Amino acid sequence: MLESFLNFFQNTGFYALISNGGTWLSSGSEAIKTIIMLAIACVLLYLAIVKKFEPLLLLPIAFGMLLTNLPMIKDSSAIMMHTEWFTDSQYFIDGHSLDVGMICREGGLLDLLYLGVKLGIYPPLIFIGIGCMTDFGPLIANPKSILLGAAAQFGVFFTFVGALVLSALIPSISFGVKEAASIGIIGGADGPTAIYVTKSLAPSLLPAIAVAAYSYMALIPVIQPPIMKLMTRKKDRMIVMEQLRPVSKTEKILFPIIVTIVVALIIPDAVSLVGCLMLGNLLKESGVADRLAKTAQNELMNIVTIFLGVTVGAPATASSFLSAQTLGIIVLGLIAFCFSTAGGLFLGDIMCWLTKGKVNPLIGSAGVSAVPMAARVSQTVGQKENPSNFLLMHAMGPNVAGVIGSAVAAGVFLSMFSNI
Amino acid sequence: MYSESLLTGQDLSLGEALATGGQTTVIGLVIVFSVLIILMLVLYLFKVIFYKDPNKQKKAAAEPAPAPAQEPAAASAPVEETDEEELIAVLTAAVAASLNTSTYNLRIKSYRRTDNKMPAWNRAGVTETINNRF
Repeated sequence: MLESFLNFFQNTGFYALISNGGTWLSSGSEAIKTIIMLAIACVLLYLAIVKKFEPLLLLPIAFGMLLTNLPMIKDSSAIMMHTEWFTDSQYFIDGHSLDVGMICREGGLLDLLYLGVKLGIYPPLIFIGIGCMTDFGPLIANPKSILLGAAAQFGVFFTFVGALVLSALIPSISFGVKEAASIGIIGGADGPTAIYVTKSLAPSLLPAIAVAAYSYMALIPVIQPPIMKLMTRKKDRMIVMEQLRPVSKTEKILFPIIVTIVVALIIPDAVSLVGCLMLGNLLKESGVADRLAKTAQNELMNIVTIFLGVTVGAPATASSFLSAQTLGIIVLGLIAFCFSTAGGLFLGDIMCWLTKGKVNPLIGSAGVSAVPMAARVSQTVGQKENPSNFLLMHAMGPNVAGVIGSAVAAGVFLSMFSNI
Repeated sequence: MYSESLLTGQDLSLGEALATGGQTTVIGLVIVFSVLIILMLVLYLFKVIFYKDPNKQKKAAAEPAPAPAQEPAAASAPVEETDEEELIAVLTAAVAASLNTSTYNLRIKSYRRTDNKMPAWNRAGVTETINNRF
C-alpha cells in the first residue's frame, strides 16, 4: 500500500521538480529555471488574455511554452515535446537529417505537431488563408505603392547587419549569418514568414523569434506613430490623396497568377509562401471556388493557427530561452520594426516630393506587412492631422505589398543561407 | 564562401560582420526592389490594358447615376434628421458598388424607406443568409 503510494509520488511533477534525477533538473538551479520558464509562460498568457496582444497566436504560443516546461521525470511517456530530437544532431540519422520515424513512433503530441513547423507545412497553409482575406485591389489601382512595400524591408536587412555587429561586439552573444537572417526577418512584421525562415535557418531561436515577432506586431500602434511624426512634415501628413480607380475582376484574377510566375522566375525560394498566398487570393477572386475560399480562411486557418501556435512555443526550453541571445533578439526585433517603418516612410517622403504632394507619406509606414494593423495606424495618424482624410484604402496598397516584399526578402535569405 | 566565424558567430570581427552585412543588404534590397518593380510595371500595363479612360467612364457613369437617385426622389423627405450625412455616405457607397463606379460620379438627391412587403418566411431566410455570412 505504502509502496504503491510512493511509486505514484515518484511519478508526480513535484517529485520531478525536487529530485535530482528529473529531466530538466540535475541541480537546484535547473528547478529554478523551470519555475522561471513557467512564470514567463504565465506572463505571456497574461499579455494575451488581459492585454489582448495578438491573442489568437500568443495564447497558444504561451500555453505551448507552459506544456513543454512542466517538470517531468526523465524519459517519462508523458513528455509531450522532445526538443532535443529536433535540435541535437546526436538524435539525427547520420548526424544531419531528422529521424522522422523515431519521432512518429515515440513522440508526444507536440512532437508530432511540431513536424508541421519543421517540415515547413503550417506557414504556407496559413498564407492560403491570408490570401483569401487579402484584397489586392488598392495595390492594383495604385501600382507605385508596391515600392513602399519594398522599402519597408530595409529594417530586415539593417537588423541582419545589426545582429552580426552585436555578435562581434558582445562575446556572450553569438549570431552567425543564419541566426542573423532569422532575426532580421522579424522586421518583415509577418509571423508565418518569420517562422518559415527561422525553422530552416535557426530552429533553436524559433520560440524567441516567434514571441518577439507577434508581440511587436501587437505593439505596432504604439511603435509606429512616434516614428511617423518624426519622419514626416505636418503639411505632408495632411495631404488628401486622389480617389483610387475602380479595379476590374479580370485584373484581380490575373494579378495573383502573374505575381506567382514572376516571383518563381526570380526567386524560387519565395514560391512556397508567395504561391500559397496567391492561391488563396485566386480562390477568392475567381468567384468559382467560394466553398474552398470560405474553408481556407476560416476552418483551415484556425486549425493550423492552433497547431502552429502551440508548437512554436513548445521548443522554448530553459536552456535555449533563458540566455543573453533571447534578450538580443528582443532588442534587435524592436530595431527591425523601427527601421522597417522608417524605410517605408523615407520612400513615402521621396514619393511625396516627386509627385509634388500627391502622395501622403504616412502610407509608407504601412509597407511593413502586419495586415491590416499597419494600414489602420496610417489611417489613425492621418486623421489626427486632418479629420476628413481617409487614408485606409491608400495604405492597404503598401500594406499588402509588404506581405509580398517580406516573402521575397525571406526567399533571398533562404537562397543565400539554407545550403551552407 | 562563408568563414567559420560567420557561420557560428563566434570570434566574429567587426569588419567581417560589417562587410558581409553590407554586401547582403545591398544584394537583398536590389532583389526585393527588382521583383517589386517588375510587378509594378505589370500593374501599369494592367492600367493601360484594362482601365478605360476616366473621361469616357464619366460619360458612361453619368447615365446610370440619376436612375437610383430619381427613383426615391418621388418620395417625401425623410422624417428623421439624425446621422443623415452618414446615411447618405452609406447609400452613395452602396449605389457606387452596385454600379461598379466611383462615388465621385454620383449624387444622392433624396431617399425613402420602402415598406417591407416581404412575407415572413422570406424575411427569415434573408436574415439567416446574412447571419451566415458573418
